[in-house]
Amino acid sequence: MKEALATGPFLRTENKTNNIMKHLLIALIPIILFAFYKNGVVPYINGKVTLYGMFLPLIFVFISMFVTFFTEYLYAILVKKETKNIKYHLKTKYSIFPGIFFAMIMPLNTPIWILIFGAIIASVVGKIIFGGLGNNIFNPALVGRLFVITIFAATIMNNGGYLNLYEVDTVSKATPLSNYAAIETIGSYETLVKPYGSLWSFFFGMIPGSLGETSAFLCILGFLYLVYKKALKWRIPVTYITTVFIMTYIIGVLNDVGLWFPLFQILSGGLFFGAIFMATDPVTSPTTPIAQDIYGIFLGILTVLFRFLTSAPEGVLTSILIMNLFVIILDRIGAKARFDLKKVVVLILIEFALVLGLSLYIAESKDEKVTVDPNFSIVSKENQGNKKVYIATQKGYSSTIKAKVIISGDKVESVEILEQADSFYSKVEESNYVSKFKNINDVSEIDTVSGATITSNAIKKLVNNVLIDYKG
Amino acid sequence: MALHLPKYKKQTLEHALGKYMRPKFIYIPLISGGDTNITELVQKGDYVNKGSIVARRKGNFKIPLVSSVSGTVVGFEEHLCYTGETVKCIKIENDFKDSELNIKKNRKLSSISKKSFIELIKEKGIIGMGGAGFPTYAKYDSKRKINTLIVNAVECEPYITADQMLALSFSEEILEAIDAILEINEIEEAYIAVKKTNTSLIDELNNHIGTYPKIKLALLDDIYPMGWERMIVKRIMKEDYDRLPIELGVVINNISTIYAIYGALKYNRALTERTVTFAGDMMKVPQNVVVKIGTPVKEIIESIEGLKKAKNYVFVAGGPMMGQAVPSDDLIVTPNLNCVLVLKKEEETELPCIRCGKCVAGCPALLSPVLIKDNINSVEELRKLHPEKCIECGACSYICPSGIKVREYIRLAKEKIKEVK
Repeated sequence: MKEALATGPFLRTENKTNNIMKHLLIALIPIILFAFYKNGVVPYINGKVTLYGMFLPLIFVFISMFVTFFTEYLYAILVKKETKNIKYHLKTKYSIFPGIFFAMIMPLNTPIWILIFGAIIASVVGKIIFGGLGNNIFNPALVGRLFVITIFAATIMNNGGYLNLYEVDTVSKATPLSNYAAIETIGSYETLVKPYGSLWSFFFGMIPGSLGETSAFLCILGFLYLVYKKALKWRIPVTYITTVFIMTYIIGVLNDVGLWFPLFQILSGGLFFGAIFMATDPVTSPTTPIAQDIYGIFLGILTVLFRFLTSAPEGVLTSILIMNLFVIILDRIGAKARFDLKKVVVLILIEFALVLGLSLYIAESKDEKVTVDPNFSIVSKENQGNKKVYIATQKGYSSTIKAKVIISGDKVESVEILEQADSFYSKVEESNYVSKFKNINDVSEIDTVSGATITSNAIKKLVNNVLIDYKG
Repeated sequence: MALHLPKYKKQTLEHALGKYMRPKFIYIPLISGGDTNITELVQKGDYVNKGSIVARRKGNFKIPLVSSVSGTVVGFEEHLCYTGETVKCIKIENDFKDSELNIKKNRKLSSISKKSFIELIKEKGIIGMGGAGFPTYAKYDSKRKINTLIVNAVECEPYITADQMLALSFSEEILEAIDAILEINEIEEAYIAVKKTNTSLIDELNNHIGTYPKIKLALLDDIYPMGWERMIVKRIMKEDYDRLPIELGVVINNISTIYAIYGALKYNRALTERTVTFAGDMMKVPQNVVVKIGTPVKEIIESIEGLKKAKNYVFVAGGPMMGQAVPSDDLIVTPNLNCVLVLKKEEETELPCIRCGKCVAGCPALLSPVLIKDNINSVEELRKLHPEKCIECGACSYICPSGIKVREYIRLAKEKIKEVK
């Protein structure tokens, strides 16, 4: 056998995978530092946490990164019998990234053992069982998140959930979107944006949310850097965010709210972080340009759908996981469309129809302020002088809540919980939640209880439904 | 996404055009346009003149191969050619007389008919000098009306400056030849396709183009692979063709080929010499050299001070993108060999594909290389991905951040879909 001849080209790009990953890390560093600032430094300066608490965000990222690296490393040396040279593995497997991303999309108050468990899942279920780098279908960090959020939601929420201790004291609200999910109308600037400051707080990221997903500003900086370095599938975030903007703009306009509404929507729920860093994960996103556009638009549609028509308020990460499934088929269509654009016309028309149709539908549903809530029913109502006493039920988190509501002169006089068996009711009780309803006639001003959002929200809905009935 | 490549052209452009015209032996490789189905027409001991026909292709294009020196046929030897394989060569001992038959002095270029023009460029062995080696006469020998002649002076591969050096030295001759070709073939207009950034060539051509109203410059973007026939035609004619440019009434010739046609028209000369770029990191003095067809590359390299010392060299016939590695320096100059690169052998590592999509965005033929690679084992899927449209420009392999030889997958795919047909 003669030696195989070298094959060309004999010139190769300088922009190697190593560089791309380096650029990605550079783009992420400000975001990690911001997470440290917002969730560590600020609470520390305000005396809310100890020194450990200050460094917790960094420790959090580091542990997660270490776990995903080490899981893959162990697998490589024990099962695959690869070299033990750590540098080699760092430089060729890029296995720290699922860990970084996983930490960034988890609530700060996730117990460390859950974080470690999730990181291991991200590596094993997200990557290794598919055959390692380049072969996985789903974004590993999202797989990790899906597992732990599904299994440990209660534990994480009991441990403090998304809010850092400074936020608990200052804004004392849930994340903007779970706050939004609690109301049924289109909402107002006062109830949706004001509690967190202004839209600038949203833009710069001083709002509650997962550890590293809140700063749209830093995500945009990272985006520009990565586009300049040719290290990002830029079409996906552009089409994704634009789609969400257009849809929520239509929904807003039809409900007579201003430009703040679509801006609130795109700046909430980690959309920028998800669109720029998670949806563009090269391995799990389409490779052909047209498929990338279609992918981005579908992500936008799904996100809006999740936010407005389901009880899952965030939407971004779930949408990405779902769309991961369709990458292969979209690429197949995208490859054909490169020769003949007609092959995608139908798909694009479907997307436009969905964007428009869904926006109109949601706008319409938000418009009907009086809706019959299927989870609500009135057991009895009787007049006592100028007061009206309601006994009503509302579906809560894990039980049906029964309460007595007394209305006096258009306002709530008192709310008393008669029966319930919700898991997190203790939180509601501790916060003396029901007393907040006294003397109000519009429940949208009431903040839900962090850690028992669904239960407290159900009580809010119950009172709201009673008020609706009362006003007739 | 347009692909911009580093140029590496400065060194050879700044060096004067060299010459190596007196090899003791020449070796005419029995290959033309990739076809080795060729009949030799001389025997050992025969005397041949410069420009004499020594062999002829058998297939559809019965184009002759000519001797580039006068002298005696001393036998047949196997040597490497631009395909990276050895081919049988006719070995001719140079008598250094350069005696040529039927040489004309200062014939008026446009004095012949279209029919004799086609016959002339055929019998003078003129083939495409840009790389593929397609017989030039066949492009003109068409029933369709030719409306436009495009002269390809784009030379988009890094390192290669052979066309540019030749055109800078012989711009007037080239323009004269283009004008004659237009007249003989009743073609209305000609475009010389040059890269926008190639200011020295643009200036040189502009200095002389004034007297030729039918000839225009077409300034094209400096992207790769701008020299690809289909891309040039699309940019200039704003239209795409199915199989051949003649469908749009277009003939496209390389600028070096035009100069060879000049020699045939003016002096009745055959294609016996060409300019070759000698470059690459291992070349001591990178430069262009005018050489006789059939000269061993090894001799030429020695004549220009040779190579830097290294353990292993990679010899490349052609440019860095589309060129072919040859196993040693035993390479012979053919009419389509525009460049010889000598590079240091480097260890190459391939990382897993991260599906960044750069090969898709960078493919000028609009293929989706990563998907072809994914489906390499399914002929059915491959067929839908049209690997046969690949022009092997190497953009996908160049741009792959993981160092994967993407083009080789597409070549393999091409073969696979052919086999099953």
